[in-house]
Amino acid sequence: MGNVRIRSLTKVFPNGVRAIDELDLDIADGEFFALLGPSGCGKTTLLRTLAGLEAPTSGTLEIGGRDVTRLPPGPRDVAMVFQDYALYPHMTVVDNIAYPLKIKKVAKGERRSKAGEVGTNLGLESMLTRRPAQLSGGQQQRVALARAIAYRPQLFLLDEPLSNLDARLRLEARTFLKRLQNEVQTTTVYVTHDQAEALALADRIAVMEGGRIRQLGTPGEVFKRPANLFVAGFIGSLQMNLLPATVTGGALRVGGSAVPLPPTAAGHVRDGDEVILGARPEFAVVERGPDGDGIAGTVAILENLGTEFLVTVEAEDGVTVQATVGEGEEPAEGEEVRVRPIEHRALVYRASDGELVGSERTVEDDAAVAERAPV
Amino acid sequence: MTAPALPRSSTDGEGMFLVRAVLARIGFYVFAVVVGAFFALPLAWLVLAPFDKNPTLSVQVPSPTLGNFRDVFRDPYAWPSLRNSIVLALGTMAIVVLLAAFASYALSRVRIPGRNVLLYVLLLFSSIVTGSAAMVPLFLLVFDLGLINSYVGVVLVLAGGLLPAAIFILKDFMDGLPRSYEESARVFGASSFQVLRDVVAPVARPGFAVIAVWAIVNVWGNFLIPFILLRDPSRQPAAVVVYNFYTEGGQANLRLLSAFSLLYSIPVVVMYLFVNRRYGFRFHGGIKR
Repeated sequence: MGNVRIRSLTKVFPNGVRAIDELDLDIADGEFFALLGPSGCGKTTLLRTLAGLEAPTSGTLEIGGRDVTRLPPGPRDVAMVFQDYALYPHMTVVDNIAYPLKIKKVAKGERRSKAGEVGTNLGLESMLTRRPAQLSGGQQQRVALARAIAYRPQLFLLDEPLSNLDARLRLEARTFLKRLQNEVQTTTVYVTHDQAEALALADRIAVMEGGRIRQLGTPGEVFKRPANLFVAGFIGSLQMNLLPATVTGGALRVGGSAVPLPPTAAGHVRDGDEVILGARPEFAVVERGPDGDGIAGTVAILENLGTEFLVTVEAEDGVTVQATVGEGEEPAEGEEVRVRPIEHRALVYRASDGELVGSERTVEDDAAVAERAPV
Repeated sequence: MTAPALPRSSTDGEGMFLVRAVLARIGFYVFAVVVGAFFALPLAWLVLAPFDKNPTLSVQVPSPTLGNFRDVFRDPYAWPSLRNSIVLALGTMAIVVLLAAFASYALSRVRIPGRNVLLYVLLLFSSIVTGSAAMVPLFLLVFDLGLINSYVGVVLVLAGGLLPAAIFILKDFMDGLPRSYEESARVFGASSFQVLRDVVAPVARPGFAVIAVWAIVNVWGNFLIPFILLRDPSRQPAAVVVYNFYTEGGQANLRLLSAFSLLYSIPVVVMYLFVNRRYGFRFHGGIKR
């Protein structure tokens, strides 16, 4: 019912900025879908185009099997939660929640009781008669969500709803949002620039850059197998190691050491190719002593992340590699170690265009997963 | 511990500094009192003279009476002139607020090339070039329209003069209202009219109130335009009638003048207090950012 179909959608602003560029996308009914990207990547424009607040330059847009490309916002049957919540300051909480029903011409008594019901479900019962300015940020956000829910749309559009909350509240609201979507089961498109938020919430993520989707996949896919260097650099709380390497005799030459060629890349590269080795700090093992596999170097910095340590190792040729080690297993600063990327997790990107080498998906190797639990 | 022999001159320096600071302070207060007195004296006259049997142009302790006010009520033009002022002020205010509201909203939300140039040119011509300079053409215009000696003529001219500045001020206010209010209402299916009525107008209300009061105060105090456009003394507003309070001897009738001046200033003062209390003359409408 609430599925979305986007075909070669393009939006060019009057000032010539190409915010969305020939974009194709399908979102399934009931899906929690995240549009992720840095500012200016077109994600908010795409959301506003879905809402009908921007008219696309070309392309088509279907919501629930109906072509809405040229429809004004109202008949599209979507609800949007704005970054600043857009709660009307002159209305009480219950009137704010009931406003969409008023537009739908629901009788006054019915819409008030319905708004009160939705508000109560979201834990707002004690503040229904207050005004938005008297509420905290988290409460305002819940009022905005309640207003969207009371409208019972086919599609929720959320524009960075957590970015105005402080860090502690944001985690709480994130869990709340996920639970809410599980209950309501309405298709949700969620715009964020915070990769952790997208990974935590979404069923699928589209990582955008320059008006195009650079990768589309589940949080697991996007995290474990970024399709290109842009996504690789963008996803992950810890920055992925992206190390310049040369293919030499079936192995990779990195920072003066040899690292085995990851199995997914085997057969796709030739001797002498310039590549980038991608290895998440979480998917790299620190081994003591100078001899053996891995990139040899000295421990330069140790950072305590709470349950683990982030080790920064300086290898030859000015290469630095980071890896995490469990608490109590950390080496000392200045110690000679080797950092060995876990073979099944290591990725190889072409240096020329930054695309991932080896098109087929990695075989989910249980042994490799067990070796280092993924985040 | 041997305290380093801090030079005594440093304490002397501090003393000097203190004396200088005290003198500066005293000087400042003397200056402030002089300036304050300069502005307070006319006000004191305005408050005291109406209750004085024999008011002069100096501030003096009154020999109390309410007779001056009785004279005002007896004067054939004084009391009706206040009503005329109210009619002109409310009429002008209604036109200015209504038109400025629509114009400023449109100018704030729709991108037209040369929008700002248009606004500045309007503002320049209305506020700086008009007044005495435009009086002759305005008079001829109103005369040709057959609106001399009518409220409509005065209201139109006054509204025309106030509108550009009103639009300019309100547009700034509208620019400050987040668009997300309107957009969220539109996404919920509200029509343009519903958006204006339910969201924009209530949120912009403090701006409207400020413009309304500003327009009323401007009309209330305007002498030149009604003086030129209204011939019939029974239609003239308070600001013009006050000009005609002479005794038979050709002297300014201070008894009438002082009492009438007080009555004439009360509505403006009350309105200022009301707006200041309600909206504080701040340009935001409960919008927390």
